[in-house]
Amino acid sequence: MIGQSRVAELDMPTAAAEGAATRPAQSYWNESWERLSANRIGLAAGALIVVFAAIAIAAPLFSAVLTHFQPQSINLDITFKPPGAPNYLGTDELGRDTLTRIIWGGRVTLGVAFLTVAMSLTVGSSIGMLAGYYGKWVDDILMRIVDTVLAIPAIFLFILMSILFRPNAITLAAIIASVGWGGVARLVRGEVLSVKERDFILATRSIGARDFRLMLRHLLPNVLPVLIVSASLGVGQIILVEAALDFLGLGIQPPTPSWGNMLTNAESYFYHSFWLVIWPGIAIFATVLASNIFGNAVRDAFDPRLKSH
Amino acid sequence: MLAKYVARRLLASLVVVLGVTAITLGLMSSTRGSFVPGIDLNPALRPEDIERLKEQLGLNDPGYVWYGKWIWGVLHGDFGHSMIDGSTVWSHIADRLPNTLELTGTAIVIGVLFAIPFGIIGALRHGTKTDHSMTVVSVAGFAVPQFWMGLMLILLFSVTLEQHGLPWLPSSGAFSAVNGGDIGDRVVHLILPATVLSFFYISTWSRFIRSSMLEVMSQDYIRTARAKGMGERRVVYLHGLRNALIPLITLVGLELPGLVSGGLVVEVVFGWPGIGKLAFERALQYDYTTVMGVTFFATLLVIAGNLIADLLYGVFDPRIRYA
Amino acid sequence: MTAPLLEVQDLRTVFQTKEGIVKAVDGVSFELMPGETLGIVGESGCGKSVTAMSIMRLQRPGKIVGGKVLFKGQELTKMTEYEMREVRGKEIAMIFQDPMTSLNPVFRVGWQVSEPIRIHQGWDAKKSLASAVGMLGRVGIPSAATRARDYPHQFSGGMRQRAMIAMGLTTTPPVLIADEPTTALDVTIQAQILDLLRRVNNDFGTATILITHNLGVVAGMCERVLVMYAGKIVESGPTKDVFAHPKHPYTWSLLRSIPRLDADRHEPLKPIEGLPPHLVDLPPGCSFHPRCAFKVDRCMRDEPALLQVGETQKAACWVTQSGQELKGA
Repeated sequence: MIGQSRVAELDMPTAAAEGAATRPAQSYWNESWERLSANRIGLAAGALIVVFAAIAIAAPLFSAVLTHFQPQSINLDITFKPPGAPNYLGTDELGRDTLTRIIWGGRVTLGVAFLTVAMSLTVGSSIGMLAGYYGKWVDDILMRIVDTVLAIPAIFLFILMSILFRPNAITLAAIIASVGWGGVARLVRGEVLSVKERDFILATRSIGARDFRLMLRHLLPNVLPVLIVSASLGVGQIILVEAALDFLGLGIQPPTPSWGNMLTNAESYFYHSFWLVIWPGIAIFATVLASNIFGNAVRDAFDPRLKSH
Repeated sequence: MLAKYVARRLLASLVVVLGVTAITLGLMSSTRGSFVPGIDLNPALRPEDIERLKEQLGLNDPGYVWYGKWIWGVLHGDFGHSMIDGSTVWSHIADRLPNTLELTGTAIVIGVLFAIPFGIIGALRHGTKTDHSMTVVSVAGFAVPQFWMGLMLILLFSVTLEQHGLPWLPSSGAFSAVNGGDIGDRVVHLILPATVLSFFYISTWSRFIRSSMLEVMSQDYIRTARAKGMGERRVVYLHGLRNALIPLITLVGLELPGLVSGGLVVEVVFGWPGIGKLAFERALQYDYTTVMGVTFFATLLVIAGNLIADLLYGVFDPRIRYA
Repeated sequence: MTAPLLEVQDLRTVFQTKEGIVKAVDGVSFELMPGETLGIVGESGCGKSVTAMSIMRLQRPGKIVGGKVLFKGQELTKMTEYEMREVRGKEIAMIFQDPMTSLNPVFRVGWQVSEPIRIHQGWDAKKSLASAVGMLGRVGIPSAATRARDYPHQFSGGMRQRAMIAMGLTTTPPVLIADEPTTALDVTIQAQILDLLRRVNNDFGTATILITHNLGVVAGMCERVLVMYAGKIVESGPTKDVFAHPKHPYTWSLLRSIPRLDADRHEPLKPIEGLPPHLVDLPPGCSFHPRCAFKVDRCMRDEPALLQVGETQKAACWVTQSGQELKGA
């Protein structure tokens, strides 16, 4: 038998060691974009959102050209009309045209949703970056605040604030964002910590005026993927929350139409005009569905690690 | 070791509870003084009566004094009295809690019972038509507004069936006011709201178990199990599922606060006399003490849910050690 | 001459991938005699693990598309899944490369080690556990009765591999397949585990297939060796002869790429040039010809079969089959 010491292990070709980049390389964005473009269903959902948004923006145009009704124009002669020309989706208890109100309602709902996302992301990423970057007691205090915010049953907080502030679109967005930022802050902080872990310059940074610049120029590009993913996944959830608040009578107040508040008096339509209960719900459902599908596509494209099978 | 861990966690929670109640009160005190709860119920009140009422309810105290008194009361197990009807907050909670637990408890149990097999089937038939159609249903489950789904179910199973002279399901309340209250009656009332709530849980959890199961089934120890010569059933349900269920514990634990607040919208839609509906109605009436009581209670549940989930994690995953 | 315990004939296993069909095992034939230790050696991805998994019919998602596996005269590839279960763990046991991940983290070690007995012998928990504890002791786990109550994460890497071996032996199977059993372990632990495998082979008479990329392990453990390249066996024979006079340029290069004590110290080591071929897109002729220092025109056209070369060895090489010697360039 041949002695074991004579021969050692084979020299196997190994994959090149992974280089730790300090910021996502250009190719990362290209690859992410390619992955997203390859996802047809995701793109279709994204296109649908764009269409909805375009319709919402052009609502006055639709009122003038397509439906020939204004969202708040009352006509007691044509109350509870079933769907049919010229009221393609029927009318409500005040004779208002449902299609027109849905188009205008989308304006409010989508507007609030996008505003909420913008607010949550701005506040959340700032707090998260500060906490992750400075660490120590700054981190402790900020994260304890985040814990507290996230521990409040969100729906209670929304209800309380809505009752107290009687919101318009902008304050409603602020109310929903007042909870939404917590999750973003946690995500961003985690990401910043891992960048710090990888990045020598950042870990041994000199103190002073460079901090702010470092954060903007160095950290922001790194947390951008996380922000993009959390934004696109957040829209649908926010629309659901907003619709529920409107439905409970706590959000956008009548006579301004929103998909949620069009359903507030739903029980009184059941027996004779059930279509009034169906259309706004379908509008919410379709929009949230499209947002979620698009959000998932974005997540799969930008963060393959999180990809669900 | 474990006791120490629990103690430390509870201590940290104390800060959170204080924070939450302070925020709640802070929000409410912006209207304190300008609005006296219950005043609209009795238009005959004279200004001096209102002033006396305000004094009685402590609305003339500065916010921190009121908060201090409230905390003192809670420490002694006293949540105070409702500002609307004068009965104790605790009696309100005790009155509504069983109904809420009945609804959300049922929904969670149904959710788990359906989500686990759905998730497993999705993972085992990964990529097939069965899997795809279940994916579609669960994606829809995320996107449908709960209150609208409730309305649709009422429209279908209460209104339409009734209009056609068929047996229909009740759409409101936890039991019939007249000749009701027995088990059968309660179950019939439970069907629609529990369907709405559990549909959401099933959508969420089945996706979760599916991806967790997919990951587990590709692990080396599953190959080991197969190499031992056991049936695929044992491989999947014993060696696979036992591992895949660990992360589900967290999810269900995080749903504990939902016992109180998660069903709020559903409770309102179905007129379900639960805690969520109580909080909603009392907030609309500026009943500070009741809202504080419920918020406090709900926060405790959030914390307890997190803690229980973490502890259960340790039971189901032997690798976890509490330090 | 005794009959072989296990006979693999022209085994073919393919994987359907996005790029095309991968012939991971492409016409592999060999025999395993009772009580012998057979080595299968080759680079990562040469199909040695898939061969083992195919014998156990655990090659999913791969598919066995041809050939036979005869175990004690029974055709394993024709068996129903139910019949196959009676073979797995009872007749043929298997241990894997990474003991860290091959044990289920949520079950106690004793429970897992005793599981094959419960499945195949139908013993109750107590009796099977007692037997498992005995086996754990025999593979060198101190205070086995106590340690059996531990979870895998409380074991060190070497201990876990001992537990894996114990798990394979509880049913005293005639065949043990060890797939890279020491690759994930420290060098000192490696030696202990190999020692244990040798003892198992002696004490239980278990025929062992040892799959490794480590020529040293083969040299120390195996009477016979198969060298695999790109899904095929390119050389086989007694370990001593193959190592002393390799009859295939691949084996020859493998041996030259590693340090030897008996060779001239000043002779530099020669790594094999080039990379293993992509299994979807194999070169025509002999798969090894792009990396071969001895290749002739024919190697690029025709594929050589595995034929007798010399007295004890077989090789799939036009050069050595034509009687030429492989001499260093």
